[in-house]
Amino acid sequence: MQASLDIADAGFLVYLVEREPSIGGHMAQLDKTFPTLDCSSCILTPKMVDVARHPNIQLISYAEVVGADGGIGHFKVGVKQKPRYVDVDRCTGCGLCVEACRLKGRISSEFDVGVSKRGAVYIPFPQAVPLKATIDPERCVFITRGVCGKVPACEEACSAEAIDFQQKEEMIGLEVGAIIVATGFDLFDARLKPEFGYGLYPNVITGLQFERLSSASGPTRGKITLNGQEPKKVVFIQCVGSRDKSVGVEYCSRVCCMFTAKQAHLVKEKIPDAEVTVLYIDVRAFGKGFEEFYDRVRGEGVMYRRGNASEICKRGERLIVMAEDTLLGESVQLEADLVVLATGITPRGDAQDLATLLRLSTSPDGFFQEAHPKLRPVETEREGVYLAGCCQGPKDIPDGVAQAKAAASSVIIALRNGMEVS
Amino acid sequence: MGLRIGVYVCHCGVNIAATVDVEAVTRFALGLPSVAIARDYTYMCSDPGQALIKEDIKKFGLTKVVVASCSPMMHEPTFRGTIQEAGLNPYCLEMANIREQCSWVHEEEEEATRKAIQLVAAAVDKAFLLEPLEERRVAVTSAALVIGGGIAGMQAALDIANAGFQVYLVEKEPRLGGHLAQLDKTFPTLEPVAPLLAEEIREVEGHPNIDLLTSAEVIGLEGYIGNFKVNVTDQATIRELKVGTILVATGYDLFDARLKPEYGYGIYEKVITGLEFERLVSLSGSRKFWVNGKEPQDVLFIQCVGSRDKSVGQEYCSRICCMYTAKQALLVKEMLPQARVTVLYMDVRAYGKGFEEFYDQVRGEGVLYRRGNPSEIYKNGKRLIVRVEDTLLGEPVQLEADLVVLATGITPRRDSPKIANLLKLPRSPDGFFMEAHPKLRPVDTVTEGIYLAGCCQGPKDIPDTVTQAKAAAASAMIPLCQGQVKVEAVTSIIDEELCSGCGICAEMCVYDALSLHERKGVMTINEVLCKGCGACAAACPSKAIKLSHFTPAQILAQVDALV
Repeated sequence: MQASLDIADAGFLVYLVEREPSIGGHMAQLDKTFPTLDCSSCILTPKMVDVARHPNIQLISYAEVVGADGGIGHFKVGVKQKPRYVDVDRCTGCGLCVEACRLKGRISSEFDVGVSKRGAVYIPFPQAVPLKATIDPERCVFITRGVCGKVPACEEACSAEAIDFQQKEEMIGLEVGAIIVATGFDLFDARLKPEFGYGLYPNVITGLQFERLSSASGPTRGKITLNGQEPKKVVFIQCVGSRDKSVGVEYCSRVCCMFTAKQAHLVKEKIPDAEVTVLYIDVRAFGKGFEEFYDRVRGEGVMYRRGNASEICKRGERLIVMAEDTLLGESVQLEADLVVLATGITPRGDAQDLATLLRLSTSPDGFFQEAHPKLRPVETEREGVYLAGCCQGPKDIPDGVAQAKAAASSVIIALRNGMEVS
Repeated sequence: MGLRIGVYVCHCGVNIAATVDVEAVTRFALGLPSVAIARDYTYMCSDPGQALIKEDIKKFGLTKVVVASCSPMMHEPTFRGTIQEAGLNPYCLEMANIREQCSWVHEEEEEATRKAIQLVAAAVDKAFLLEPLEERRVAVTSAALVIGGGIAGMQAALDIANAGFQVYLVEKEPRLGGHLAQLDKTFPTLEPVAPLLAEEIREVEGHPNIDLLTSAEVIGLEGYIGNFKVNVTDQATIRELKVGTILVATGYDLFDARLKPEYGYGIYEKVITGLEFERLVSLSGSRKFWVNGKEPQDVLFIQCVGSRDKSVGQEYCSRICCMYTAKQALLVKEMLPQARVTVLYMDVRAYGKGFEEFYDQVRGEGVLYRRGNPSEIYKNGKRLIVRVEDTLLGEPVQLEADLVVLATGITPRRDSPKIANLLKLPRSPDGFFMEAHPKLRPVDTVTEGIYLAGCCQGPKDIPDTVTQAKAAAASAMIPLCQGQVKVEAVTSIIDEELCSGCGICAEMCVYDALSLHERKGVMTINEVLCKGCGACAAACPSKAIKLSHFTPAQILAQVDALV
């Protein structure tokens, strides 16, 4: 979004292709941002609105790039527009279809990372841009089985007559001078560390799930509760799927130390009598105001213990976290009602496919490779294709924004030079 | 034409609606005089929410709009845009902040609702008196000034110049390159710096769009985005440069290790800083690594010297020392495979791309990492003794060394208060220049047209600096691309009948927007410089200044509705 806005502000036409039904990415899922505790969606949604309103930005959502031929100045990009089964020109985003869907509350919500359920027709979150309904073709019974009562409930509910089961996939051809790849990241799948029991114990959750629990607009309206109960002992485990060769992830994910510190703070703020422990290897509070924040969080009574957990098991209702405290040099057992795993940042599952498609190389960690690690951090080996954000490697929001603007600068240069030639 | 006001009450999901009875607020608003329509909606800022307002403006012929939602800091630009698209003057909007100033800070629904009603009533009463204001545009000088010729300044200058704009690059020193020129190799790829930098310098020096001024200093600045006038000392003369935007890339200083006297820096010659180590290695080339004509057997690196240390007033982390220390430790191992190399650390912050892998490689080469910060260094015969508490073993140890390298941290430049004053840049508590927003505006400043790049904003490594420089270049070239900029419509207005020309207002103004009109003997306002802060209006003893959009009548109407 940032890269699009900068290029559009400089006077050039931008096609913004987003695979999901809404723009916003992972940041839309976050509760507060470290270290200033700004509300994430409050600072993000104005940007989303700016993107939607910008006369130079053409937003193509729920679509995927399937090919990019040519070179700098004359790329031909193929985009596959997936069918929403909703006529976006008619849809007002009122949400009546969402309420009506027979599968309402039956499908795990991607946006809430499973903390809440949606229906087969859904709007990912209230501030979605564009605010249009989307029908999930894999779950909608009318699409999969051809029958949903006499008339599909969504169709019946929609007063705008926007539901359109006849919609087909469409191919769009774009001609562009330069390309920015800002495809983001996936989170490490905590199930790959079976010793932590994620997926087995409901009170072992990931950092992103915590964000949804803690978010004022999330399913619990910001109350940190599990099965209606406030946890009194909370353990955060850092470096889950980071700095861990045993699961093939050697690198550091750069953001987890700070998001964990922030989450620990939020628990203390919302449940002042909770005992909060953070298990860490090294605390990497390297950014502006980070060390100060880490200091503040410890001052609020969050206990930092150096050592990584070896196993989580259940004793009665409570969880027991086994860890070696490397400062005390002894093993400890910590009781917990809630364990939050700081899962790391990984390349997107399909990063390799996209790399092949765009003819980009990837670094050994699987992220897209920049042209030079020091002096050309946003360029790629393919002239005219630039990188921004976590697709190049883990980074926090300001570093992501800076990189997006940097990529935009490269694109503006390319387009202005082309302009002067013609 | 009759006054017709539309009032829009936002639920903000549950942010407002869970604490405030939004329907009651809407019903109340409908009963107010001149209110033609009042509605509530889940997200007023969303596309359909805005569409609702636009339809109503046309349908009911609204002349003013009140939105009761979040802080105007958040969505005032959004809704100004909305009503403008429907044909109203953007300043015919008033916002009632019923989120930050109501629902978020109150718990009791009845009380919160009562307050929200009052805030809406006040906003409606002010809306009665709102006047349309004109947003003007001024032409932009098609050139940029970059202050600082380190890697940040050079990269930014190259980007702006490559986009086809004139750039003045001002460097205080006689040469380009900044601190980077002093380094030997970069982490984690161990690439020699000199050839990389030489190419960059050649490009800058040979660029037709870059006017390079070395041994030059900015000594004066006036003007505003699009039209800055900058005075620069160039040799013995003073040059006036006209530029549209300014990019600050003034870099950093290193922490003065003498401020940690317990390490004996400046007393023991074998206690050196990381930067001195770079020079030592760089000068010794690929040949033997000698200290005073001898190969050191025990080399000890101490991290966080002047970082994460409140005792010397440096609370923050310097972000690069962990990695440059790892690199230096490896270089010693490469040159002297027999040497014992130890790094004393608190936390190893190997956070960047390839960093953890590099840290792992360095340990694999036999560099010993011990967790603990030393308390003291003293001399025993020819050798240095470092006393430290090993926090993993939980016991104090004494380590012998022939060479101790202190990883001194990054500090704001000692002359940064001067630059901050000259450019009117605020600084964050750590002393670095402050960006406009810590998350979403990392290179902008509060002053439009002035941008930040590199370590003057906070410690960062080379790729992060290059990235930020390019980012700042993007911000700095957007106004140049647009060719014109919007001027703040909310400004102070002087009543010449009342003004006595005392000049108190001019003393209050941080934007230098006020000056005395010699002939008339009254003050005049430069409306382009004025940012509408209102300081002058508050200070004027004759009440001769009023601030448009916040006139005394408008504010009193709001106050009347509230009390």
